[in-house]
Amino acid sequence: MSDTLVPQIPTTNAEPVRRVPTDWTTQAMQSRIRRRYASERRFRFAGLAAVWLSAAFLAYLLITMVMQGASGFVETRVSLPVDLAAAKLPIEPARLVGRGADLALAGAGLEGTVLAAASAKYGKDGANLLSDGAWAVVRDAIKADPSLLQRKAVFEVPVSSPIDVAAKGNGTPDAEAVVARLKASGALSRGFNAGFLTSADSTDATRVGIWGAFKGSLLTMVVTLLLAFPIGVLSALYLEEYAPKNRWTDLIEVSINNLAAVPSIIFGLLGLAVFLGTFGMPRSAPIVGGLTLALMTMPVIVIAGRNAIKSVPPSIRDAALGIGASPVQVVFHHVLPLALPGILTGTIIGMARALGETAPLLMIGMRAFIAAPPSGLKDPATVLPVQIFLWSDQVSRGFVEKTSAAIIVLLVFLLAMNGVAIYLRNRFETRW
Amino acid sequence: MTKSLKMPILKMTARNVSVAYGSKIAINNVSIDVDQDEVVAFIGPSGCGKSTFLRTLNRMNDTVASARVTGEIKLDGQDIYSPDMDVVQLRARVGMVFQKPNPFPKSIYENVAYGPRIHGLAGAKADLDRIVEKSLRRAGLWDEVKDRLSDSGTALSGGQQQRLCIARAIAVDPEVILMDEPCSALDPIATAKIEELIHELRGRYAMVIVTHNMQQAARVSQKTAFFHLGSLVEYGNTSDIFTNPREERTKDYITGRYG
Ligand SMILES: Nc1ncnc2c1ncn2[C@@H]1O[C@H](COP(=O)(O)OP(=O)(O)O)[C@@H](O)[C@H]1O
Ligand SMILES: [Mg+2]
Repeated sequence: MSDTLVPQIPTTNAEPVRRVPTDWTTQAMQSRIRRRYASERRFRFAGLAAVWLSAAFLAYLLITMVMQGASGFVETRVSLPVDLAAAKLPIEPARLVGRGADLALAGAGLEGTVLAAASAKYGKDGANLLSDGAWAVVRDAIKADPSLLQRKAVFEVPVSSPIDVAAKGNGTPDAEAVVARLKASGALSRGFNAGFLTSADSTDATRVGIWGAFKGSLLTMVVTLLLAFPIGVLSALYLEEYAPKNRWTDLIEVSINNLAAVPSIIFGLLGLAVFLGTFGMPRSAPIVGGLTLALMTMPVIVIAGRNAIKSVPPSIRDAALGIGASPVQVVFHHVLPLALPGILTGTIIGMARALGETAPLLMIGMRAFIAAPPSGLKDPATVLPVQIFLWSDQVSRGFVEKTSAAIIVLLVFLLAMNGVAIYLRNRFETRW
Repeated sequence: MTKSLKMPILKMTARNVSVAYGSKIAINNVSIDVDQDEVVAFIGPSGCGKSTFLRTLNRMNDTVASARVTGEIKLDGQDIYSPDMDVVQLRARVGMVFQKPNPFPKSIYENVAYGPRIHGLAGAKADLDRIVEKSLRRAGLWDEVKDRLSDSGTALSGGQQQRLCIARAIAVDPEVILMDEPCSALDPIATAKIEELIHELRGRYAMVIVTHNMQQAARVSQKTAFFHLGSLVEYGNTSDIFTNPREERTKDYITGRYG
């Protein structure tokens, strides 16, 4: 019916105009093409060089850390014959089971027996060969097998820090000489330093462990994540989806961006003033550390979250609204799942920064010497980077390798955290 | 249109509706009736306010902060802009299909099931399955997708995606379906399928379709509204508008003088 009104395209019989084709073979054209290829090559080379350079830096860092730190996971042991039967420790066999065993053995003078055995075997300086923790190895062996008390046995006990360092080729001339003598007699051996992964800080480099700081970091990160993630995501959602666009929201946006750029030590001062000062929370506690780091991490999550939410196509919101989804349903059924990968990426960046943070935690007292792993959020604790900082400050040579070993643990923690985030991100990634 | 003996049932009425984005007036004093059994086509040059007016009919303009709607729009005699109108329910009753196919990045099944689920239209899984199948059948998509309901809706072709969007709208059992240039991103074959579908759905749902394609308006609609610069220039039976428009501007537009 509309045919009557729809017009036809007019046709003409005029000669088509002939055109002169572009000459692509001229000198100027050729040199332009050559220049274009050259600039492509230059750019590709520059990019590749940049990637290689950063990869090389990273590899150098990792390799030096592993080289220096690997020996921190190894301890030198000396074989020590102890005649426990002859020592006649005053102890009832019944007390060797259960929780009282450590106390019972310590009270019975086991440490003295072990030191005496060292002097007997290696001369009057023999006791100095042993780590402070040497007798604890004997103690644990007795607990595992009480019949040892009735006989003479040879134990592999850790050596003291100077001997350990010397055995790893880095000691003082005196210690090196002792090591050479022990080596010649076949008394030295090496083994995996399990104590490094299970104990906390100590004054003796051979007895220190990373577990205390690791657990402190873990507890602190849990508090940070539990606070910063929900608050950050909800703020981002509110600002993007609900807040009217006006001067107040502009102000909030600017403040959040500035907050993300504030030096971390300022957050430490804030935590000190507010959480310790005003609220009277315990010093050095993971809960305070977590709260302080959450303040620091939140703006990062808000900014990343807003960008992720912004990049959800508006057509998806329209689609959901168009079939009668309420605004909250639109957000939680559609926008949030699509934005989650981006939010997780931002979260992991913020959490990685928080994990490596030292300065604000120093302000709230997490630099104290803490010899027992925290058992709760309010116990005094330290965290991995602060522990690294403290050990790197020690004069004793034995701490050098421990510092590097702790850095390896920190890096592994970081990689594990990133791995989890990447796994989650891939799981939630929507394929269009 | 020939005088029918049956009185037309008015589904939606708009009276003196104006819409402004801030100080810019996009729709000026438009009145239109939409009958239960009819397809109404909105035509007019780009930017004349067709989409804006269409979106007032299910209050999608609420999402635009600067938009102000005045006048009166009624659905079954009930003012949809009155404070006691539940917008969520309104949008379930007045469904919408958009210019660009916008399936959710979820499975085909989930795309269709989402609406009934949030509105509690299906009790058991079997009910939901039935609704999904029925909606996909009505949208003419069932035979093409019945073996891959768990595939992503976004993996379908453009035309199939648009029919999926129609199925999604149908699934919540609306009374009116609004379509904003539903074929503008589709090839001619997919377009023909959608037009066929509109024919089949007529009577079951009142429909309003915005189109740039004059032939399409002529083929699918019973009434046509011609908009120009925010005003309704002419509204009448499609057959009259395309053969014998009253207004000079309508004639100019239909004959391709502008737009
Ligand atoms: N969200 C908006 N904000 C401001 N102006 C808008 C918005 N949407 C549409 N407009 C304006 O309203 C007028 C009508 O637009 P629209 O309804 O999309 O026209 P059509 O669908 O007929 O092409 C246009 O001038 C357009 O610029
Ligand atoms: Mg439009």
